[in-house]
Amino acid sequence: MKQDNHGKNHKYGMVIDLDKCTGCGSCMVACMSENNVPFKEDETRKKDSITWMRVYKLTNGKPFPETEICYMPRPCMHCGGKGDHGHSPCVSVCPAVATDYDHSTGIVSQIYTRCFGCRYCMGACPYHVRYFNWWDPKWPEGMENYLSPDVSPRMRGVVEKCSFCFHRYQQAKDRAYVEEREEIEEQEYQTACTQACPAGAITFGDLNNPDHAVHQMVKPDPHACGKPRNPKAFRLLERLETNPKVYYISERDWVRKAGDNYLEGEWEKVKNNHDKGHE
Amino acid sequence: MDSALIPEGAKRCPFPVFAAGIAIVGVVVLWGVYAMGLCWLKGLNQTNMNDYYGFALWIWADLAVIAIGGGAFFTGLLRYVFGIDELKNIINLTVVIGFICYSSALLILAIDIGQPLRGWFIFWHANVHSMLTEVAFCLSLYFSVLTIEFIPLILENRQVDKVPFFHNLGHNMHGVMAIFAATGAFLSCFHQGSLGGVAGVMYARPFAYREGLLVWPWTFFLFTWSAAAYGPCFTLTVLKMFEGITKKKLVKDNVVHLLAKISGWMIFTYIIAKIIDTIYWATVTAPSQGFKLMDFYSDNAFYGIWILILEIVICGIVPAIILTKKSFRENSRLLLIAVVLGTLGVCLNRWVMVLQIMAVPVMSFDTWALYFPSWQEIATTVLPVAYGIILIALAYRYLPVFPQEKELNAD
Amino acid sequence: MKVDRRSFLGLGLGAAAGVAVTPATWKLMDDSSIWTQNWPWTPVPPAGEATYDNTVCSLCPGNCGIMVRKIDGRPVKIEGRSDYPVNAGGVCLHGISAIQYLYDPSRIKAPLKRENDTFVEITWDEALDMVAERLTEIRASGSADKIACVTDQTKGTIPGLFARFLKATGSNNVYAMDTMEKTWEITLEKIHGGRSSAGFDLENSDFVLSFGAGLIEGWGSPVKNFKINSSRKERGSTLVQVEPRLSNTAANADVWIAAKPGTEADLALGIAGVIIKESLFNSAFVTASGKGFQELAAVLGKNYSPEAVAQTTGVKAAKIIEIARDFARSSAPIAIAGRGRGMSAGSVREFSAVHLLNCIVGNINTKGGVWTLAAQDYEKWPAVEMDDLATAAFEQAPLDSAGSMAGLFTNAGKEKNIEALLIHQANPCFALGDAGSVTEAVKKIPFVVSFSSVMDETTQEADVILPGHMLLERLEDRPSGAGVAQRVTGLSRPVIEPLFNTKNPGDTLLELARKMEGTIGASFPWESYEECLEAVTGDLWAELSDQGYAAETATPPGGGVKVDFSFIVKSQAPVEMEGEAKDFPLVLVPVDNVRISAGSLISSPFAIKTVSDNVLKGKDLLVEINPETARANKLSHGDLAVIETPKGKATVRVNLFEGIMPGVVAMAKGLGHVLDNNKYVGGKGVNINELMGPIVDPVSGLDAAWGIRARLSRA
Repeated sequence: MKQDNHGKNHKYGMVIDLDKCTGCGSCMVACMSENNVPFKEDETRKKDSITWMRVYKLTNGKPFPETEICYMPRPCMHCGGKGDHGHSPCVSVCPAVATDYDHSTGIVSQIYTRCFGCRYCMGACPYHVRYFNWWDPKWPEGMENYLSPDVSPRMRGVVEKCSFCFHRYQQAKDRAYVEEREEIEEQEYQTACTQACPAGAITFGDLNNPDHAVHQMVKPDPHACGKPRNPKAFRLLERLETNPKVYYISERDWVRKAGDNYLEGEWEKVKNNHDKGHE
Repeated sequence: MDSALIPEGAKRCPFPVFAAGIAIVGVVVLWGVYAMGLCWLKGLNQTNMNDYYGFALWIWADLAVIAIGGGAFFTGLLRYVFGIDELKNIINLTVVIGFICYSSALLILAIDIGQPLRGWFIFWHANVHSMLTEVAFCLSLYFSVLTIEFIPLILENRQVDKVPFFHNLGHNMHGVMAIFAATGAFLSCFHQGSLGGVAGVMYARPFAYREGLLVWPWTFFLFTWSAAAYGPCFTLTVLKMFEGITKKKLVKDNVVHLLAKISGWMIFTYIIAKIIDTIYWATVTAPSQGFKLMDFYSDNAFYGIWILILEIVICGIVPAIILTKKSFRENSRLLLIAVVLGTLGVCLNRWVMVLQIMAVPVMSFDTWALYFPSWQEIATTVLPVAYGIILIALAYRYLPVFPQEKELNAD
Repeated sequence: MKVDRRSFLGLGLGAAAGVAVTPATWKLMDDSSIWTQNWPWTPVPPAGEATYDNTVCSLCPGNCGIMVRKIDGRPVKIEGRSDYPVNAGGVCLHGISAIQYLYDPSRIKAPLKRENDTFVEITWDEALDMVAERLTEIRASGSADKIACVTDQTKGTIPGLFARFLKATGSNNVYAMDTMEKTWEITLEKIHGGRSSAGFDLENSDFVLSFGAGLIEGWGSPVKNFKINSSRKERGSTLVQVEPRLSNTAANADVWIAAKPGTEADLALGIAGVIIKESLFNSAFVTASGKGFQELAAVLGKNYSPEAVAQTTGVKAAKIIEIARDFARSSAPIAIAGRGRGMSAGSVREFSAVHLLNCIVGNINTKGGVWTLAAQDYEKWPAVEMDDLATAAFEQAPLDSAGSMAGLFTNAGKEKNIEALLIHQANPCFALGDAGSVTEAVKKIPFVVSFSSVMDETTQEADVILPGHMLLERLEDRPSGAGVAQRVTGLSRPVIEPLFNTKNPGDTLLELARKMEGTIGASFPWESYEECLEAVTGDLWAELSDQGYAAETATPPGGGVKVDFSFIVKSQAPVEMEGEAKDFPLVLVPVDNVRISAGSLISSPFAIKTVSDNVLKGKDLLVEINPETARANKLSHGDLAVIETPKGKATVRVNLFEGIMPGVVAMAKGLGHVLDNNKYVGGKGVNINELMGPIVDPVSGLDAAWGIRARLSRA
């Protein structure tokens, strides 16, 4: 192995090119379909609408015709937490270990049958990636026939969220095992949203593997918990030290600025720092 | 009718009056129980909580009752561990209030969780890193302690006391109460703290997050301190209500003033710590995360800087001054204002640490989330209050809650 | 035994201790939690062997290749087919939702006939007999030319069978929705002569000047255009979007030009004027192929100076000049028209003004330009046998001379009566302008037969319903269209046995024809639709059935093209909106939202779930206005308001958006469905077609409406 990381731990992550994203919503529906996400009569109350992958619409706030918009797909960030040790905001607070950090993949799991619905994790997550099943999931008559056995439907009263399609990882691992391979290839494990995106805006892979596209796109800094070294790349709320594994890329200053909170004058400094880079 | 049960020498209102009062409050209890049943049977969709407001009204109520129930552990500590003997005249009241508050808190938690039948997973699959695990363990253990503290009082009921076994049991329990009080104080310190920790450890929520000592954020210590400081305010508020309703003096002034004084100095020290914490948070912690203080108090229809001023100045500094200054606290009207403000203050603090946390946007493109509870939430939040009224009324009627009552009302 | 207080208490304590010690408590606690983990009302999808079937999505003209993941034969997921030439793995949200369409609550499960106001289930035999008898009667009464058929499109063997059926009965009344494809065909015919359809070689163009074409709103072949757009940066291609509001396409474009709505043609002519004036045009091409260029140059010079056009369009003269220069100096510039998804026809004046730009830079039938594609000819139909009745009736003029579906129903409501209407995958009662009047017109038609799979607005008006298979159950060839340069014919194949008592509309027609006997029966000699498809597709069948598609190499059509510039000079009258500015000071424009399907396809629950709460909130639709417009009308975000047009009024909510031109009100298309059985989609929002009417284009006769005057006031 030519990897420079210690051991064989993967760190699966996602890079989303916001200049390519068209806001078409394919990723959202691909995710709902892949993961048996239920729907109800009124889904316009977005604060209780389960969308593991949610596409936000950002605007630059300028008046017509200087207005710009940017769509920002937001899956679970699978935070490594402070110091990237796996103490993501949610994992560290769950009282019953119903959500956990898998050090071999970097994926934050959610065990629905373990969760008893205290929702502490939802409070702790600043990205609103966690959704509570306020209702029993119900499908119109016959429609439950399209449910996939790969992901169990969740009962009322538990929290759910994006899993980076972890079942696909398991399937890829199983296949590799049968074929007596140690490792799985980059293309063998891809999330449903990545696959569906018609604009090719989402890239998924192992951030620890320099051969993988995600690594090459953001050049994560191993000495700074994976902070991107590509000046056009950023992570949401980098300053909170949640160390997300979802990276965004944009050429547009205002979009990168919207990724975090800055006091007056701070952004200019950050922006300049970025432009210098620190390879 | 029930005179055989009423403590000897005590005067109580006629039974029908009492029963009518209980019945009225009972209706409220039934309303709350109905709402509780709806939440259990139909699920939490009965509430107006949502994915932004995962903690809402009744979790505030939960934290608030625990805070104001803090009078129990703190007075117990003072009475049994520090040996301030005068407080024995009010300790029973604090225990009853504590019992009500903690049983209510547990009930609220049982309604609040999405899967009540799996609630015990918090013990079975405990995550020791979670503040909530600590809360659950300490809360349930401390509730057991409170029950043990409550039993001797029940055993003092005139009829129960006649049974030699119970008489002896009560007597012996009194003897070892210091141990329980000490245990209770220890447990209570921890879970009051861990409740504060619940908010303080959320490092990705800049409004809630606080730095701290080792694994404990500053809110951990602030919560314990504030519960100890403001708990007696609530005890005294309840006492004043009792005295108002029964038109009797139940506890001697020296006891009241002593407790008020201790509470005053506690509030005084707490509020200094709280101010230091707020300044540090506003000038160091939050800015390091990209927020200035006013980001948390602007751009929305409800949460303005008034809430911070109300909490710290009106409900903090003001009661602290009144209660620490002898002439003020011995003025019964000022005393009443102080204890009521104090009670409000700690409830407001819990509100901010439960509800405002959820409302403040974190992502730059997110917006403030405001929420209004559903009637089911309100009913289940009112339920413990109504239940508390009934329990405390029963306790007062049938148990010798106030040892000085007879002496003060001898005519 | 006497129970005194003491023993009672003792027993109580004992019982409590017993409960605590006995394992029953703990076991019950554990069991109850296990029960919550296996609630019988939470579905447990059965596991099984996973397989994939390839097919082609037929939900829109894009025709993407899709893969259906199945578990034990049960379809569970739709993914893009990565080796498919159109979409190369990508898939749009509506395509993924096909899995929901299969089990849609408003699906029709068996043949139905109308009895008073309800539908009654009947057998296929009864249903077909009813239709055959009625059509035979109509024919016998000499009204065969009053039978009409509306389908989603004209290409492919199923629409082919419908056209054939109509012809055999004696009617030349086959209509499809008025789309930009039709307008492009007419434009190309007027300018270049001859019949051809437009292909846009966008992937090889380095400068796309789009006049409102929503390249990422679902224009043409949606996923293909998503992909082309997404590779723009790598290819060094520029996209300029002309649109009065910041659509997704405008937002994604390199340059957004907010021209006043309805002035696109003027802007195009202004740009052309600059190119000609500055001699940036392709003079070799214009001299060799053009006719009437000098007159055109003179007209443009006189009437369409940048300053004059700036007045009309609201775009600065300098900007017009800049765009003109950039366009003309690019190596493969292309100008495209067709608003939003391109599912509405638009005016020929506008299309020809836009196409003028392609003509003067000579980018016709070249790499990266507009291609004049000859009709696809893989379908080899035997001649239709027609009896005398049919021959005579077929000679009659069609019910709408322009072949416009909008025209058909406008006429039906007036003097010419339709005796029978066959509807296949079209929903005119919802999707046509002035939907209310269209519904009234359809109600007046004595006999309406629907072949729909779902109960939509038009099918609700049917007398007989012969329900069709859904996409995943059905066999069908899908020829390419939608302005795609490379021709790919796809084969939609069943991946699951039909769930309900439905038929492939192809088979339904064959059986119907047989029941009608005579020359009609004889015109349909095939046993089944599958046999028909195999026979008709001829040489292509082997490839189609083998790999699921047949793709031609993308090469521009050979042979020179002629350009008649004089046509552009002639067609100068702009299509005006309905209404008076003094009564209706605002302009309402329909907007295609990529997450909401408009036209005959009804959005899925999945799709509706993704719609922003600034578009749909509860059951209310939000119209988009500039904060300035809101101030002028004393409205704020979220307010309930009444929008009123000369055609009707509706209650909506208001969404403030900086990115829309003041004075313009934008409203999403495709909402406001009335679906009794589908509460996830039905009853939400307002159908904009209730507020807008068709405007007949003077050249094409198609519906050229692009907006309507409106006023907005607080409800």
